[in-house]
Amino acid sequence: MNMRPDQAPIVEIWVYLSGSPLFALTLTLAAYSFGVFVYERSGKHPMANPVLVALLIVTAALVGTEIPYKTYFEGAQFVHFLLGTGTVALAVPIYAGWRSLRGRFGVLMLAVFAGGLTSIATGVAVLTLLEADQSFLLAIYAKSVTAPIGMGIAERIQASPTLTAVFAVTTGILGAVFGRFILNAAGVSAWWQRGFALGVASHGIGTSRAMSVHPVAGAYASLGMGLHGIAGAVLIPLLIQALMLLR
Amino acid sequence: MINGLLQLLVFQVLGELASKMLLPSIPGPVIGLVLLLGSLIALGSIPPRLEQVAQTIVQHLGLLFIPTSAGIIMFLPMLRENLGAIVVALLISVAASIAVTGLVLKWLAGERADDEHAT
Repeated sequence: MNMRPDQAPIVEIWVYLSGSPLFALTLTLAAYSFGVFVYERSGKHPMANPVLVALLIVTAALVGTEIPYKTYFEGAQFVHFLLGTGTVALAVPIYAGWRSLRGRFGVLMLAVFAGGLTSIATGVAVLTLLEADQSFLLAIYAKSVTAPIGMGIAERIQASPTLTAVFAVTTGILGAVFGRFILNAAGVSAWWQRGFALGVASHGIGTSRAMSVHPVAGAYASLGMGLHGIAGAVLIPLLIQALMLLR
Repeated sequence: MINGLLQLLVFQVLGELASKMLLPSIPGPVIGLVLLLGSLIALGSIPPRLEQVAQTIVQHLGLLFIPTSAGIIMFLPMLRENLGAIVVALLISVAASIAVTGLVLKWLAGERADDEHAT
């Protein structure tokens, strides 16, 4: 390299830093912190979702610095590792929702199956009708449930965990933004029903939204997200296997 | 904090073991979640140290899927060609799912005196 001698140390430091996990971790946490800041400033608007904001920053930084994604992921995997632990931790908010449950378990499970199947069937039908690339289809199945569980399902059904996560987050944002208009149009007014529907269909982001609107809606949203996640993890791989056999 | 994290890790390990040995089609962390949920129901309360750590992690769960999601840059050319179809599919999918879930509850669940309603 024809660098001037006084620039060389900076270049060396950059070469060292950009390849070390420290850079990937700092970038990820800084982008996410900024995302949380923007989210709080926006009055917690779902469109200013911290993950979405962080994703824009991280991808822009990777493109700008020409650091390969693989190098970034090797460093950021320390954050990624906690995903399994985070999934286990979901038991706590689900349990909080469970406690406010008063003998409605049967009808809630029925609603989970109906909502989950609708999510998959409509998503797959629209993608097929609009002749989108087939490689997106499996991620549509897995994104039907909350991102951390959906990514686990994706690994089991050979879907892309990346597409699954991005689709699930997009779904969450869309549901959190439009959910109340859909529920109003459908004439669903009981808070527990509104919350549960948001949790089942729009996962963690919908649940955050429900919590900020009404505590009962929030508790039932956690429950809806959790029950759908558990049912999906058991049934979606079996559904895919059954569909493969039919082919 | 460490104790709460340890409790989560123990359930994660149990879940992974159960997934490897008994139920390979279900992700280990989901089995860990179910085992912890069952334990909490049996216990009838949430141990405070577990609650503290679990709430912190769940609150920032989104942070944990940023590394995987950033892989979207590898899909950009393919995504660009199919962007319209995907956005329409995601929008219709979530709208239909919210409506169906809400309507099933509205039609099948009995009204209770203390149910609160949006106005």
